[in-house]
Parts: sequence; structure tokens; C-alpha cells
Amino acid sequence: MKILINLAYQSLLSRKITVFLTIISLTVSIVLFLSIDTLRLGAKKSFFGNVKSGDIILGSRSGEIQLLLYSLFQIGSPTNNISWESFQEISKKPEIDWIIPISLGDSHKQFRVMGTTKEYFDRFSYRKNQKLKYQEGTYFENTFDVVIGNDVAKMLNYKLEDSIIIAHGIASQSLHDEFPFKIKGILNKTGTSIDRLVLVSLEALEAIHKDWKTGSKIPTKINSKKNYTEQDLIPKEITAAIIKLKSPITIFKIQREINDYEFEPLQAIIPGIVLTKLWQVVSVTENIMLSISAMVIVSALIGLIAILYSTLNNRRKEMALLRIVGASPKTIFSLLLIEALIISFLSIIIAILFSQFLNLILFPILDQKFGIYLENKFLLLKDLYFFVIILFTSVFVSIFPALQAYKNSINDGI
Amino acid sequence: MSNALEINNLLFKWNNEDNFLLKINKLSIKNNNKVIMFGESGSGKSTLLNLISGILSPISGTIIIKNKKITQFTPNKKDAFRANNIGVIFQQFNILDYISPLQNILLPCFFTNFKKKNKKYFYDRAFELAHKLGLNKNILLQTNSNKLSVGQKQRVAILRSVINKPFLILADEPTSALDNKNKENFLDLLMTICETEKVTLLMVSHDTSLKKYFNSFINLEKISHSK
Ligand SMILES: Nc1ncnc2c1ncn2[C@@H]1O[C@H](COP(=O)(O)OP(=O)(O)O)[C@@H](O)[C@H]1O
Ligand SMILES: [Mg+2]
Repeated sequence: MKILINLAYQSLLSRKITVFLTIISLTVSIVLFLSIDTLRLGAKKSFFGNVKSGDIILGSRSGEIQLLLYSLFQIGSPTNNISWESFQEISKKPEIDWIIPISLGDSHKQFRVMGTTKEYFDRFSYRKNQKLKYQEGTYFENTFDVVIGNDVAKMLNYKLEDSIIIAHGIASQSLHDEFPFKIKGILNKTGTSIDRLVLVSLEALEAIHKDWKTGSKIPTKINSKKNYTEQDLIPKEITAAIIKLKSPITIFKIQREINDYEFEPLQAIIPGIVLTKLWQVVSVTENIMLSISAMVIVSALIGLIAILYSTLNNRRKEMALLRIVGASPKTIFSLLLIEALIISFLSIIIAILFSQFLNLILFPILDQKFGIYLENKFLLLKDLYFFVIILFTSVFVSIFPALQAYKNSINDGI
Repeated sequence: MSNALEINNLLFKWNNEDNFLLKINKLSIKNNNKVIMFGESGSGKSTLLNLISGILSPISGTIIIKNKKITQFTPNKKDAFRANNIGVIFQQFNILDYISPLQNILLPCFFTNFKKKNKKYFYDRAFELAHKLGLNKNILLQTNSNKLSVGQKQRVAILRSVINKPFLILADEPTSALDNKNKENFLDLLMTICETEKVTLLMVSHDTSLKKYFNSFINLEKISHSK
């Protein structure tokens, strides 16, 4: 056995260029498959990672996917807000464990501003029930304090106590420059959309919009912020609310009650369900990509058989010699399988190293450019399964040229 | 003196087709004899050697080597018997380029009983025999065998055929591609080795001028009823 491996190895070594090219094509296809798979799982994870927090999302009536996107991922804009009174009314339902209002609309540089309450920070959970933690500082104490997500701090180079100005609307030139905010907290990296948020209190949002009417500043005298009483700062509207129920059994009941709410057109969605619907749309592309990379692997394996076949004729004398010195046709057969095994084993090793290297380069780019945050886990169990499958398949397909060699060697001697 | 090789009523066809038939009623070679067999190209010389080595099986008849009826052996037993008892020299020597000359010489040991305790014995034997034929360690230990000269290749081929202390050496037209000087060299070396190692030799060729090196000769076309 050791002798066969040695022979196979040296024989491969003597055919460096073809063998090298075969290994490259197999490696590239494995890396492609691995990367697409990692990307797919990573996207899914960052997608579903935000859903852990609530059972129901309350918003104004619009598309359910739209509501999901702006409330959980801060993608797109709400068409309508819901009134504070309705929010208050819904909150009174006894089945509700907690309900957190959120308010969107403004921005800072390229980042969204979200108004919410302290509870949001306590209740928000992501991934495997991880809670929000502060990298520095803490929750806002005063009205005009903000907490910023990790990416915001990193990209804009912000520190605690820095002053920032919030712009009205998204990508707008008009600034709320009479109300500078102070950074009180910077959150840890979560790999969710929170990393890209500027979080303020609902009261602060109310305060900075007091002098505004339908999108523009009223050019009267500027109020000093100190003049506002607590009563003044109760918000009139919010964008959405995240609801957690005491028992998940009541989910559909509450959803129905909200959808049937008579004083205002409200909508309740169950994020897990909507997300799954949305994911089904996305996963079509995902499956196409995965099948393409599977086909690339298949073609690389065909390449492997091709070189084994093509060398058979040249190596007839070599095989005959091995027969003469005592190798059985079975031994010749195993020799070819061992060669295939060595090729695919090397390809896998190189692919592992290469994809690790690729991850090192690509993960930060994916995070910054696309908001897909991937943790670099070395090898997952499913990767090991995948490698075992590749090994087995390559040995399996090599059975065909090996059988041919077996047949040749029955008659080939001197 | 007993017979090293004995063939009786041998009948062979390729895949049972009628285009070639090898039929030998009686052939024997005495122990330690050096025999050359002549025959035109296509007369079945290589086929006969493959039958003797047990790679091919006849339709009927017996082949007896070292008093063993190898025609009755199972395929596995034939492979083992061949590895242990028969040394072969190929046309153009068939040296594997991608392993060292030493590994080429030791190749027959790899597939037999190359165990820890006799490993050293065979390495020593390889170096010693090689030294006798004028191949030094440096040549044997080259990583590849593709840089060997014709003269070196024929020595490696002879050494490979004899390393496992075979009982019988079969040589298939080893001189057909050699110039006269190399031819003489090769035959001198081969004869010396066969003498010192006490091996029986059966060589096939179409070159009748080689007769003088051998104890006896056989004409395949005369003993065989091939068509
Ligand atoms: N593998 C094979 N399959 C079928 N026929 C073969 C095979 N090898 C040789 N033959 C045929 O057997 C005959 C004898 O060939 P061979 O033994 O090689 O002759 P020689 O060695 O004397 O030149 C030829 O007619 C050849 O065509
Ligand atoms: Mg021949």
C-alpha cells in the first residue's frame, strides 16, 4: 500500500503540468462552491438575525414586505406613520408583554436615524439571543444625546462626546442644525442593521421637528430647547412598533385585532413568516448560484477523469511492467484510484487554505459594502461532509478509467 | 539435470479468434541453460513469454516451471509466482522515468516480501550487483531515471530482472534497438550475471547472429504450428 502511494505520488509528480492544472481546476471549483455557500448562509444569518426580538410588528397599512424591510432593516421608507394614540391603545392589550415604538425618517450622513425608547436597547436581541452591548459609553441621559452603531463610529471616526447634526429626511440638505446631538454611547458590532444606525430618543425627534411643517423649516424665531416641557415632547406619530407577546399562542389573535383596528388603517405582520416569504424569492438566485457552482465541480471532476483516461495509453508499458513484477490487475486498478485520491485530496487542502485566505480579504469588504457580516469560522461540520463527498465522488468517477486500466493489464505483459 | 521449464500440448488463441494460433506440443529447457528462441516478428514470441510468465492463460496444455504446474494456479498465485521466480527484461528495457534507478532495480521486491528485516539485504544486494556491472551509488540514487544512457539503462534492466533471485529470466528482444557495441556489452553482462546467479535464461529474438552466446537455440516457427 505504502509502495503504491509512493508510486502514484511519483508518477503524478512526473506529470506535473497536467496534474497541476487538474488540481487548480478542482481547487477553484471547490473554492467557488464554498464561497457561494458561505455567502448564502451569511446573508441568511444577517437577514434572519434581526428577527429574534419581537413576535409582531405593528405599522401603517402597506405592503407587508415593505413594513418588514423598513422596521427591521431600515431599508426603504414608510409611506405612512401611525398615530401615538393608536399605539397607546394597542399597548393596552393584556396579551402584550412589551411593545417598543420606533420612528424613522431622518438621517446623518449616509446613516439612518431611528428614534426609540430605552427598552429597545434592553429588548433587542440578535443571532443566538445575544443582547446589545456598549463598546463605549451608555444609553442617552438627556434629550439630545445619541447612541451610534459600530459601523457609524468606525466609518465616520466618531468618539464619545462628539457633536453631530441630524439632517431632515434621507439624503437631504436641510439640517436640524439648531439642535446638535452629543454621542453618549457606541454599540458593539452586531452584524445587523443596528451597526449602521444613529439612535435617538423619540422625544428628541419630536423636539427637532417642532418648528417643521411638511418638510421645511418655519422661518419664525428659533425656540431654545430648554423651553420644552415633557408634555410638549410626547410624540404625535411613530413609524412602527415591535411587539412581544406573553404567549406565542395569541399571535394570530393579536394580528387579527390589529388588522381590524377601526380608527386607523393598521397592519400587523409576523416577521418570521414575511421574512421566509421574502427569502424564498431571494433563494431562487441563491439556488441557481449553488447549482452553477455544483456544475463547475462536476466539470472539474470530468477533467480529472479525462486526464486519467488520456494518460492510460501512454502508461500501458508502465502498467505492464508493474504486472510483470508482481502487481495484479486489482493493484493496477487501485493505483489509479490512489492517484485520483491524491489529486482530490491536494485540491481540497489547497481549497481550504485558499478560501481561508479569501475570507480574510473578502469578509471586511462584504461587511462594509453590503452589510453582510460573516464570522470567520474555520471549518464547519457541513464543510467536512462536503469534502468527504468530493473525495468519494472523485474516487467514484475514477473507477471508469481505473477499470479500463484493469482490463488493459489483464492481457498486457511483456 | 532436470528441466527448468517444460511445455506440453500448449494451445493459445487471442480472445478465441482464429487469426492467430500458438500451438506447441513439446518444449523444455534444462536448468541453468541459456537458450535463445528465434522467430519472425509476429510469430508469437512475446505471446509465448507472456504465457510462460503467467500473464496470459492458454486454452489448453501445461506449463511447468520449477516443477510447478503454473497453468493450474489461480490468477493471484500466478502473480505471486511470477514476482518471486521470474525475472523479465523488456524490449527497450521499460525503465520507469519517474523513479530513481535504484527504485527501478528494486521494483520486483516492492511487490513481494519486502519486509523490514530483508529490506537491507536487498538494498545491499542491489548496490553490490550494480557495482559489479559498473554502476556506482551516485548513478543509482539519481531522483529520476530519465537521464540514464542506453548502457546504463540496459544494466538497470538486467539488475531488475535478477534482483529477486529468480529461477528463470525471460528476455524479449532486448537487443533489437541496440548498436553492435551496446549489443555485445549487454549480452556479456547478461551472461555473466546468469552464470554467477545460476539462473536459467530464455531470450527471444529474430537476430540469429546472437546464437554464439547461448547453450542452445530453438526455432519457434519449427516447434509451433502457428499460422
Ligand atoms: N493483445 C493482443 N490482442 C490480440 N492479438 C494480439 C495481441 N498481442 C499480439 N497479438 C497478435 O499475436 C500475434 C503474435 O504477436 P507477438 O507475440 O507480439 O509476436 P512477436 O513478439 O513474435 O513479434 C500477432 O499476430 C499479433 O497481432
Ligand atoms: Mg514481440
